[in-house]
Amino acid sequence: MNTSVMAAGNFLIPNGTFIAELIAFLIVLFVLWRYVVPPVSKAMSDRQAMIKAQLDEGREASERLKQAEADYRSAMEEARTTAATIRDQARADAAAIREEMLEQAVQERDRVLESGREQLQHERDALVRQLRAELGELAVELASRILGESLAEEARQRGTVDRFLAEVQAAESGTAGAGGRR
Amino acid sequence: MTGVPLAEIEVGTHTTVEFLGLTFNIDTIISTVIVGIVVILLGFFLRSQVTSKAVPGRIQLFWETLVGAIQGQVEQLMGVSVAPYTVPLGVALFLFILFCNWIELIPTQHHLPAPTADANTTWALALLVIIWVHVASIRRNGAGRYFGHYAKPLVGLLPLNVVEELVKPVSLSLRLFGNIFAGGIMISIIGLLPGAVLWLPHGLWTLFDLFVGVIQAVIFTLLTITYFSLQLAPGEGH
Repeated sequence: MNTSVMAAGNFLIPNGTFIAELIAFLIVLFVLWRYVVPPVSKAMSDRQAMIKAQLDEGREASERLKQAEADYRSAMEEARTTAATIRDQARADAAAIREEMLEQAVQERDRVLESGREQLQHERDALVRQLRAELGELAVELASRILGESLAEEARQRGTVDRFLAEVQAAESGTAGAGGRR
Repeated sequence: MTGVPLAEIEVGTHTTVEFLGLTFNIDTIISTVIVGIVVILLGFFLRSQVTSKAVPGRIQLFWETLVGAIQGQVEQLMGVSVAPYTVPLGVALFLFILFCNWIELIPTQHHLPAPTADANTTWALALLVIIWVHVASIRRNGAGRYFGHYAKPLVGLLPLNVVEELVKPVSLSLRLFGNIFAGGIMISIIGLLPGAVLWLPHGLWTLFDLFVGVIQAVIFTLLTITYFSLQLAPGEGH
């Protein structure tokens, strides 16, 4: 080997350096190809995949949130509707019960009034019947005592008493009807 | 010959070593080895702390940005599934060329020239890419369709198509070489200025060289992917 500084004859014509340069570049190419570009590429695509996954996840989460909000809103709406229905129902029930109780009370009152009236009627009838029987005898006795005459004939006797009693009853029923309405 | 002291500007000169009957530009090779080590260390550093679960570090973000950009470019031009190997190739080309372009900016009294300012490097990269493109095209399309493409859309265009393919490696290689080589020449010329005013143009040119270094790396990588896509894109080649 000898080292010398010399002006190249034509520096565009390649010499042995060509081979050295080619080998040098091939070594660099081999190293980068084999050891450097694959991990870089992998890191890039991995990160791309990760970012994509995160974006998808975020999108999914926000969709889920939206869904949950919608569910919540519809549940609230439903609950409100149910509450309103229950309230209305309760109100209607209360009204119905009150109505019914009122009805019952009125019926009860009417029934009590009716039975009271009926009892009164019965008592009055019984009284009248009793009075009629007693009054008849009393009146006949009175009359026979006064007149001294015996009223043996049953038919006449009955007709007179009946006439008398009808008059009494007519006068009395006018007063009793006004009092019963009170 | 002229008033400019050209003797002080070393253009296209290299420290050479003769080995096995071949001439090696040892300064270019040393720079390249350093660049290679830097790129590979950057790669292994990433490998040691790459994570897909925790927060990625700056190195990982840098690699992800680069790989992502190249993947996006490949996807847009032909679909990664058509030629998945173009992604690591593009990443390696971009980083290798970028650091090759930038190493010149380390002030070392031209002990570490930009490897891409040596036509050997750019020829090596361009020929590798172009041969790969053609091999990939034949493997994907079959020899019949591959050679048939040269006669499309008209048989009369065959010479033109052949020339187009022949020019691709030349343009790919010499564009990169020319840009970076010119940067070196400019640095040398600016170096001739008196020291009192040297710093301003030198600083500006260094910034510009940084920019050119990125642009040229991007162009080389993009064109590589484009050449692959022209041959491999589903549907039509040219």
